Amino acid sequence: MTPLLEIKNLHVCVEGNKILKGVNLTIQKGEVHSIMGPNGSGKSTLACVLAGHDAYEVTQGEVLFNGIDLLELDADQRACAGIFLAFQYPVEIPGVSTKFFLKAAVNAIRKYRGQEELDAMDFLDLIEEKAASVKLNVELLDRNVNEGFSGGEKKRAEIFQMAMLDPTLCVLDETDSGLDIDALRIVADGVNELRNPERGFIIITHYQRLLNHIVPDFVHVLLDGAIARTGGSELAHELEEKGYQAFEPCGSGC
Amino acid sequence: MLMTTMTFDNTVFETLHRTEAWKYTNVSALSKIDFADGIGIDADEIQSFDLASNNPFVVFVNGVFNGEASRLVDGIEISSTNNNSLASRSDSMIPRGDSDSLTISGSHEKTIHVLQLITGSSPVACFGNVCIHAGEGEKVSIAETHVALGDQDHLFMPCTQVIAEKNSSVTLVRAIRGSKQAYHLGSLHVEQHESSIVQTHTITLGGKRTRNEVYAYLDGINCESNFDGMYMLGRDQFVDNHLRVEHNEPGGNSREFYKGVLDENAKSVFTGRIYVKQDAQQTDAKQTNQNILLSDDAEATARPQLEIYADDVKCTHGATTGEIDDEALLYLRSRAIPADSARTMLIFAFLNESLVELADDEFRAVLVDELLGNLPGGDFIQKLYV
Repeated sequence: MTPLLEIKNLHVCVEGNKILKGVNLTIQKGEVHSIMGPNGSGKSTLACVLAGHDAYEVTQGEVLFNGIDLLELDADQRACAGIFLAFQYPVEIPGVSTKFFLKAAVNAIRKYRGQEELDAMDFLDLIEEKAASVKLNVELLDRNVNEGFSGGEKKRAEIFQMAMLDPTLCVLDETDSGLDIDALRIVADGVNELRNPERGFIIITHYQRLLNHIVPDFVHVLLDGAIARTGGSELAHELEEKGYQAFEPCGSGC
Repeated sequence: MLMTTMTFDNTVFETLHRTEAWKYTNVSALSKIDFADGIGIDADEIQSFDLASNNPFVVFVNGVFNGEASRLVDGIEISSTNNNSLASRSDSMIPRGDSDSLTISGSHEKTIHVLQLITGSSPVACFGNVCIHAGEGEKVSIAETHVALGDQDHLFMPCTQVIAEKNSSVTLVRAIRGSKQAYHLGSLHVEQHESSIVQTHTITLGGKRTRNEVYAYLDGINCESNFDGMYMLGRDQFVDNHLRVEHNEPGGNSREFYKGVLDENAKSVFTGRIYVKQDAQQTDAKQTNQNILLSDDAEATARPQLEIYADDVKCTHGATTGEIDDEALLYLRSRAIPADSARTMLIFAFLNESLVELADDEFRAVLVDELLGNLPGGDFIQKLYV
């Protein structure tokens, strides 16, 4: 079976600094993988490289998405192909209404997939259905993209967009940062609702608590640009107890 | 139909760019063109510019009033005499001349649409004279569309004078559309009295070389004045927005806010002079020019000029020139929006801030359409409005 995602010996630089130093990762459809690591380990870099951010330079290695060379595709082509990145800090875009932007996104993907574009009524129906899953107030969508959204609203809005665009690989970049307990639960419920045998998830996080709600199949520890250890969901608890330092080469966790 | 004959000496353009006020704007080519009087055109061509069939509509073709296509109401008068006394108060060097002139007075509930069409099979030069007189407490809104048709080097020199009496309110929008070969050298003169409110928008989408002059005299206390503008220019296009706002009495609140997008080798100049007389205390004046450059060949020049003689005033000025926000671009692209559509969305968002303020829905819709028609990936966005 062709893996959903295969990252092979990935080396990435940004502004001349080496950030990822040989990452290897394979994800099958239906799996939820968590990547945990301290600040500066390269977690967000990995997320941005998968999404197609221009500032990051791949100096070595390969990324295959459903067997195709992902690095050959531009950011918008990757989104059409089925990749979705829930940003850690969703940017505010004054002057661009959320509904307007979402309709453009939904229809761009539908067009790519050979599906009929949604008309106004169907689009509104879809919005209401998906907004309910993350308890997002639809009135927020009349505002400009992320403008004036609270931290929690921004994160929920990312999950809402994910639900709207129906991706096959969801990358969540520290979605839990800045969330209180209730918001965390809402976001987790929204993500869990999207879990199915066809979809894969990469959950990037510092802290273990999100993983109580979105229980992963695999946990990877990213240290200094490479995966130091892989395990099942219990690895997250081990990390919580021992700390990241224990997993450094020559640490007691190895 | 009233007829006028025009005499027009175009030698003045030869050396205009050697003066300080025109140093960035070279229109010497105009001195070498043999201009003709224009001719009339078919009613059908006018039809497409009739944006709001329930509103008063005043049509001029080559400076000549076209009664057949117009819809006048009380308070709208056409004559062949031109009174330029307010315009003479300025040091504008744009030639003034005769045309059928339009005078608007009294309060009007609906926006009065004025269409100035310039057309001909060889270059036409003509004037447009409009006087708006809002009496005490009166309220009026005017939308001027200036369109040159065809690809000749037409020259249009509109002069609009506004007198806003005590407690009156005047809104004036001028949109320059159509041919990118024509020259638009226009002026707007505003005289305000106590507690009057004047709002102008000057929108430049067409024209090869456009100069929009605004002269405003806040001659009464507590006037409120917003002089806004927007421009979206492409290859070989140029706009010079030249403003002079005089605070002659205390308590005035004025704003000059112009924003634009320049593509290819387009160029813009913004000169914003704010003059505050010695007795004009408690003046609050703001001036901003924001530009987005889409190419390395585009150029924006901003010249703020503050001449302040009073000591209890607030005057701020700012100019920015930048590119499209990369982070926002990535965000949109990560949601499957193709690069050029994403870029257009952001450009449109930037410019729409100006358009959104226009109360007249039909007028705004037409401008949005034209704007999107000029941007790559714009049709993708046009569909989203449906």
